[in-house]
Amino acid sequence: MTGGTIRVLIADDQMMVRQGFTVLLNAEPGIEVVGQAVDGADAVAKVADLSPDVVLMDIRMPGTGGIEATRVLTTAAGSTVKVLVLTTFDLDEYVYEALRAGASGFLLKDASADELAEAVRVVARGDALLAPDLTKRLIAEFSRLSATPRSPLKDRVGALTERETEVLTLVAQGLSNAEIATCLVVAEQTVKTHVSRILVKLGLRDRTQAAVFAFDTGLVRPAGH
Amino acid sequence: MHRVDVTDKGDRVGDGYGRALGAALRRAPSTLRRDLWTTARDPLPRLTWFGRLPHGHLVLLAVFAGVAKMAEYSEAMNGLSAPVELLVILQAASLVLALSRPVPAWWLSTLSLILTAEIADTTVGPDLLWPWSMWGIVVHTFVVLLLALRVPPLVTAVTFLLTVLSGLGSTAVPSDIAHNEDLAGGTLAFAIAAVVGASLRLSRVARNKLVEQEVLTAEERAMRTVLEERGRIARELHDVVAHHMSVISIQAQVAPHLVENPSEELRENLAGIRQNAVEALTELRRVLGVLRAEDPAADSVRHTPQPTLDRLDELLDNVRATGLSVDNATRGERRRLAPGVELSAYRIVQEALSNAMRHAPGAPVRVETGYLTTGLTLRITNAPATRPVDPAALPLSPGLGHGLLGMRERTAMLGGELVTGPTADGGYEVAATLPLDTPKDGT
Repeated sequence: MTGGTIRVLIADDQMMVRQGFTVLLNAEPGIEVVGQAVDGADAVAKVADLSPDVVLMDIRMPGTGGIEATRVLTTAAGSTVKVLVLTTFDLDEYVYEALRAGASGFLLKDASADELAEAVRVVARGDALLAPDLTKRLIAEFSRLSATPRSPLKDRVGALTERETEVLTLVAQGLSNAEIATCLVVAEQTVKTHVSRILVKLGLRDRTQAAVFAFDTGLVRPAGH
Repeated sequence: MHRVDVTDKGDRVGDGYGRALGAALRRAPSTLRRDLWTTARDPLPRLTWFGRLPHGHLVLLAVFAGVAKMAEYSEAMNGLSAPVELLVILQAASLVLALSRPVPAWWLSTLSLILTAEIADTTVGPDLLWPWSMWGIVVHTFVVLLLALRVPPLVTAVTFLLTVLSGLGSTAVPSDIAHNEDLAGGTLAFAIAAVVGASLRLSRVARNKLVEQEVLTAEERAMRTVLEERGRIARELHDVVAHHMSVISIQAQVAPHLVENPSEELRENLAGIRQNAVEALTELRRVLGVLRAEDPAADSVRHTPQPTLDRLDELLDNVRATGLSVDNATRGERRRLAPGVELSAYRIVQEALSNAMRHAPGAPVRVETGYLTTGLTLRITNAPATRPVDPAALPLSPGLGHGLLGMRERTAMLGGELVTGPTADGGYEVAATLPLDTPKDGT
């Protein structure tokens, strides 16, 4: 974040959507749209050029799609860019795939301007899950269906201290740092430190990835299963 | 849920059988009466292999048996009486009648047998079989066979019993002179005829039912294919609509930012538009959820937008990459058409190419697109196959429908025309004309 302003890149194949979101986000204090991309490959190139804080990424784009672009962006060395996935109407395994590919959150395209701005801020800050209930449900739903073996990652759970495992569980439940602090009766700063350590130890980029990890490894079980 | 359905249905079917059986038993006396007191025509059908040959032979047999029976009685009675002559002729005729009306024929034959026995009772000597003469048994055996071929087994059984009872009745009456009394031979012959006829009838009925079932199944399958295809088309179009709806919802939010000091009315109006778009989207999500649940192929194509003719070149390149020679020509100027037309046109070309690859592997294909003022024309032709058809050839891409059926449904939906068929040189042609009534500005 440069000078407190969140720099945003919008990637969508529809011009109307790009222009619309640009107008809406530029009207928000503290958010600036620095560029637009027409597909996944373009988004990757523009991110290298403009180094935004957040990319609004459409999942369905011709050519290089949003999921592939998200994977490229979030696995690049030294990358800190956060990806917020845009979906027209699907809360399905593609959104889940995007989260596993490294996206920090997702948003329906018909979200209100306030929801849009809030989503960009939450993702940029990274101290809470975006739409925690929905995200948790989505991850829970599809981590169960996903057959991808995650055993190498599972071993890494052992690297966490008991406290860190506890914090990871609460992160996966969708709790913000402040809520976790209240829950564990510690200072919010302590929680922040725990979360950073967890992310470093597990090699994850943010708490959304941590939540996906927790469900995938079976550390957290979806309710009722 | 599926399993519950099946058990449920099974129970119902069992119930149904039970109820049907009960009803059949209750109806049996009246059914039997109706079946035994009928003069309805029930002609013996032409046979598949022998045609009407058996019919002819039966008529010949009737004539021969009649003559033989005359001789039989003439000898036994030392000269025929008029009533016996008449009865012999009537019984022989009953065999001919049995070809078209088996039940009255059986009555006629049986009554002839009884009356002949009664009349001959006082005159025949011990040379003749009594109460049924040998040729009388032969004729009646064939009558029973012809009856058993056409009536339900219960009716056959009852007529058999009645025949035997009539014989027992004849022998029960005390007689003045000695007879060569024998019921066993006749009864055995009638029983064999009844069993053979009834079994042949049952196997024919079962075969007919099987054929009926097969026709039904084929119809159901065709129906399901049509419905699947329509479901797929509906899903794609709803998908397109949903995209447009979400753009409307975004634009309605953006609009107030585009004017300085928008009035309260304008804001409210735009908020209303957005509200409606969002509500429509909520409903669309539900519809799409249903349509997708029905269409497993939808999964694999969901991450790309619904295609338009802009991606036609990409499609053709993909096909060329498989080694196929594809020639492409466009008449008129490419312009953006209604999304439904664009999508349908793309899918029609895709299906036609896929068909060409499957049915004429290796054959060069030509794709012609024509932008007319009134409509879009598509013509996909392929030369004859250069390689034998590979049955394992896969469709061009996932999410493809059912070839010609899909093209026809899509064309019909847009009110267009589709012509498909072989070309003079042995290739195949698919030609579609899609009317354009809703042109759209580019976005």
